[in-house]
Amino acid sequence: MWQMVGRRETGRLPPHKFRALLQKTRLYSIELAGHKEIASAHKSGVNSLQIDATEARYLLSGAADGSVAVYDIEQATAYDHSTRTSKHEALFMVDKRVLNGHLYSVSCVHWYPIDTGIFVTGSFDNFVNVWDTNTTQVELQFNMSKKVYSLSMSTLATTHMLIATGTDDTRIRLCDIASGAFTHTLSGHRDSVWVVQWSTRSEWVLVSGGCDGAIRFWDIRRAGCYQILDQQCSQIGRRPPVLKKSSRTHGREDNLCTKYLNASSPIRQRGQKRSFGISAVDSRTAHYGSVAGLQMTADGLHMISAGTDSRLRLWDVESGCNTLVNYPSTYIRGNKGIQMAVTPDSSLVFTPSLNAILVYDVWSGHSYSSLRGHYDQVNCCAFHPQGQELYTGSNDRKILVWAPRRPIDIDNFDYEDAEQAIKADEDAWSD
Amino acid sequence: MLHLLVITHEKDRVTGLKVERLGETSAASTISYLDNAVVYVGSSYGDSQLIKLNLQPDSKGSYVEVLESFVNLGPIVDFCVVDLERQGQGQVVTCSGAFKDGTLRIVRNGIGINEQASAELPGIKGMWSLRASSKDVYDTFLVVTFISETRILAINAEDELEETEIEGFDSDAQTLFCQNVLHDQLIQVTASSLRLVDAISRRQLNEWRAPPGLSINVAAASSSQVLLATGGGHLVYIEIGQRELIEVKHVKLEYEISCLDINPVGEDPDRSYLAVVGMWTDITARIFSLPNLELLTKHSLGGEIIPRSVLFCTFEGIPYLLCALGDGHLFNFILDVNTGQLSDRKKVSLGTQPITLRTFRSKNATHVFAASDRPTVIYSSNRKLLYSNVNLKEVNYMCPFNSASFPDSLAIGKEGELTIGTIDDIQKLHIRTVPLNEHARRIAHQEATRTFAICSAKYIPTVEDMETHFVRLLDDQTFENIASFQLDAYENGCSIISCSFTDDNNVYYCVGTGYAIPEESEPNKGRILVFLVEDGKLQLVAEKETKGAVYNLNAFNGKLLAAINHKIHLYKWTLRDDGTRELQSECGHHGHILALFVQSRGDFIVMGDLMKSISLLIYKPEEGAIEECARDYNANWMSAVEILDDDIYLGAENSFNLFTVRKNSDAATDEERSKLEVVGEYHLGEFVNRFRHGSLVMRLPDSETSQIPTVIFGTVNGVIGVIASLPQEQYMFLHKLQQNLVKVIKGVGGLSHEQWRSFSNERKTVDAKNFLDGDLIESFLDLSRSRMEEISTAMSVPVEELCKRVEELTRLH
Repeated sequence: MWQMVGRRETGRLPPHKFRALLQKTRLYSIELAGHKEIASAHKSGVNSLQIDATEARYLLSGAADGSVAVYDIEQATAYDHSTRTSKHEALFMVDKRVLNGHLYSVSCVHWYPIDTGIFVTGSFDNFVNVWDTNTTQVELQFNMSKKVYSLSMSTLATTHMLIATGTDDTRIRLCDIASGAFTHTLSGHRDSVWVVQWSTRSEWVLVSGGCDGAIRFWDIRRAGCYQILDQQCSQIGRRPPVLKKSSRTHGREDNLCTKYLNASSPIRQRGQKRSFGISAVDSRTAHYGSVAGLQMTADGLHMISAGTDSRLRLWDVESGCNTLVNYPSTYIRGNKGIQMAVTPDSSLVFTPSLNAILVYDVWSGHSYSSLRGHYDQVNCCAFHPQGQELYTGSNDRKILVWAPRRPIDIDNFDYEDAEQAIKADEDAWSD
Repeated sequence: MLHLLVITHEKDRVTGLKVERLGETSAASTISYLDNAVVYVGSSYGDSQLIKLNLQPDSKGSYVEVLESFVNLGPIVDFCVVDLERQGQGQVVTCSGAFKDGTLRIVRNGIGINEQASAELPGIKGMWSLRASSKDVYDTFLVVTFISETRILAINAEDELEETEIEGFDSDAQTLFCQNVLHDQLIQVTASSLRLVDAISRRQLNEWRAPPGLSINVAAASSSQVLLATGGGHLVYIEIGQRELIEVKHVKLEYEISCLDINPVGEDPDRSYLAVVGMWTDITARIFSLPNLELLTKHSLGGEIIPRSVLFCTFEGIPYLLCALGDGHLFNFILDVNTGQLSDRKKVSLGTQPITLRTFRSKNATHVFAASDRPTVIYSSNRKLLYSNVNLKEVNYMCPFNSASFPDSLAIGKEGELTIGTIDDIQKLHIRTVPLNEHARRIAHQEATRTFAICSAKYIPTVEDMETHFVRLLDDQTFENIASFQLDAYENGCSIISCSFTDDNNVYYCVGTGYAIPEESEPNKGRILVFLVEDGKLQLVAEKETKGAVYNLNAFNGKLLAAINHKIHLYKWTLRDDGTRELQSECGHHGHILALFVQSRGDFIVMGDLMKSISLLIYKPEEGAIEECARDYNANWMSAVEILDDDIYLGAENSFNLFTVRKNSDAATDEERSKLEVVGEYHLGEFVNRFRHGSLVMRLPDSETSQIPTVIFGTVNGVIGVIASLPQEQYMFLHKLQQNLVKVIKGVGGLSHEQWRSFSNERKTVDAKNFLDGDLIESFLDLSRSRMEEISTAMSVPVEELCKRVEELTRLH
């Protein structure tokens, strides 16, 4: 570290490289943070997390009991001197007791990208609520008439304020905060849409993934979707092989995967049967099974998708090709989507897998570590870009903070205390 | 080290590779072969060089001959601002270069003399230049006087200085004064007589002899007058006529006369109506009227040091009286030409030795050269007297010597040497290099022992990546290495300060170190070493082990504040039972990523984190604890911080930006109070390694600019810059000027100034605010008159006023 600072001082290490290098080394040492603790205000599993884009200071969480809470992740509400942990309690929490609050599970939360005065939540009670952060009241409601699985607002948008929603319905609807009405209905998916995400490259492009295994790209200025990702297409200009052969090409995959493939085949076949009558393009799939998570890289050139077929796939967005990066398999189950996270330099992807969070190198698929700490299935990850911290929410009702390893505060008198504390910590988490 | 790679080949096949050693150069970053065996070696760690590759090796076996070196200050890793000569002018001592090219550079403002010719002439007692006739433009003769002889040098046809004779001059006595006077005549004053000599025939025309028993001590003359002082306090006034000398007046003063001057300051350039006389015993400067030698003013100079040189001169139309003392101090007064009254007395210290004042002209302006152990040029800008050092060691005498072959030159008499040289532009930085042959990382100056201490690393190229680290003590005048302390293997010196502790009168050097074991990403062991300088030796007084590298040390109210990895620790200096002292930990603060930069002021601590911008901490003595009171929530990766004043803190950031934050101590809510508000943002385009308070120009106590605090910064590329905190009114004015200038001055390639200066990093890009680009504003002075007027109309401020305001700004650096 001192050497790196020295190299930066003498100009041998350009500052941007210094920064990238340090961020990377910090990332690889990420572990359960001993110094930071979020006191979850929820009484049931945490479904969705998001850190605001403006200050990267407030964490928004939505839980299965219909509650939504906001935490200040910079300023601790309490500091425990004996264990040296700062405790972050919720700044406020809203649940069904609030007028028009969500009655059932909150599946997704989203900050208004411009400031932290507004946030948006979607719930299984069929409503999308727009909240005023300062009054903690619902300002606007959209009735989607089906369970809301996912919603997204574009961080780039300068001309629109649309909330894209993925629901149990096959249609994606865009809600306009300005008018309080639906502006678009995008139909194409053949099953529920679990994930929607705006492109990080263009404010008009929306990506969606559904239970039908398809990932569709929409340009909201045009009718219909303009691209459907095909897992078989891995080279530009090459015709994708016939679908039936697909199981054979994937034959050398590990057992678990093939087993799962067989298990999920009825869904696939049902999809195919339906698609025969329409067109071959329409029947392309990105995953065998549902698409559970989508995450674009910060530059918007690549996208990572996760499916209930236990695969992660990296897509080249421009050509729509499957890059065939082989990520070790994950375990994603459940009846709703998950939230993955990609670091801003697009080097690592964090994906929930059962009780753990798996850390993969985006480009090689190499598995770096598996972050274990949750007692139950992990639903969502949110990455804090400046502090290189990862926040994860799970069905065990907890929000955990994962941070780069920091040298333990050791100083003469409290050396042993600290060591004890670490030991105690280890005990507490070994399950 | 430069090697030649020889690739031998036969047709298409490479048959061998051979590396041949050519010789040593600066550590090269780029090499370009120019032509004729001349190679340019560009270096970012040392001076760039233009070298010639010889066919035959020299005696040391090197084929390399350095033709020219180009000074490179970068990378400035650390620096300190010191006033070595104690004369109110800061000098910057930088740790520059890296590896074997590591140097200390002493940067100061000063005027350079470009030597044209020099000759060995020991024992010079005075010099004057004479023209062959009054009509000549150029000086021909240079009169040099010694203890018992006078020699006359002239430029001969071969442009060489050659000894000649002026027949009428007394060459066997010391000359006290000589000059061209009216009617094509010359005068020479010696201890015994005043001679009038015809300039054409060079024969003596007339002579005035001192009364028997008295000898002439000092003399001065204008074109038509001579004033002499002889022993016993006699003052004799003589007028020069055609071929005659008329003694007009003679008075006897009560004390001996030490110096006098009758340089004309009135309308008539040939005749002076005032004379100034410096006195022994009562230490006064007296002004007499001429020709009747009536005492007009008597001004006591105070103190016990006699005036050694007095001079009337006119700068920008304002007559001044300068009066230099034997101890290097200089008084200046504004003179009333009619009444001889003195006003606006100001005193500055120029050196420590007696000063001799002489006027000279350069670039059509009058300057005064003060010859002493610290030669200084006195000049005036916007009706203010300014003092600028000349980068010569010691000058005894000086006279202007404007000859045909050496136009606009000065003849300078040094100890044992006569030099003729031209003078540089006023106000230029002067850089001196002290090679260290090792890489200096940190520097601190100790006033009490007049030493510098540096943390340096000696890099041994033969052993792979092996560095040995030292703490070295250097003399602050000679920069000689007095003492060294070698650190342990892998131990790096990370910080150094000079400080003192409560209940202890000694001044110590405290050195913070860290053990950089190659396998460990973060040092987890370090030391704080406390040294006392005794008899030129570094005495290790105390040592304290820490659990991490000590990135920063600060003197903090008689205690020591250390930044160790991600923690800030306060140590107090305690006395043990056995009389020895030790550092004892008092309290700490943690929760940072890496506390890299720490500055303190009072009980406040400003900390620059590796990646979490600036935090403000406060030490609470009653509770013995350090607490965070506010921070900037932007994620800036810091590279340096400094405290500008109680509320405003300056930071430099990883993406070459500067920003300032303000403490909101009187904000209404806790939320606002805990936030450092970003008030200024600016893109500098340079990676700042260090800020220090200080200034490179002499701060005159009377000038307005001395009220403006400045901060100096040093960057990786070797840039030294000044940031000045301007008052609101001046800021508004200059901001308006800058906006107008941007419209007139177009950037290279039409690039927008606004865009370049906008704060920009990975996360955001915002327009610059509350920062001004001094370089841009100062370029106003280089504009053509019509352009200036264009701006002047746009601003509705007269051009003169604008120039004055901008010049004021230029005097800050």
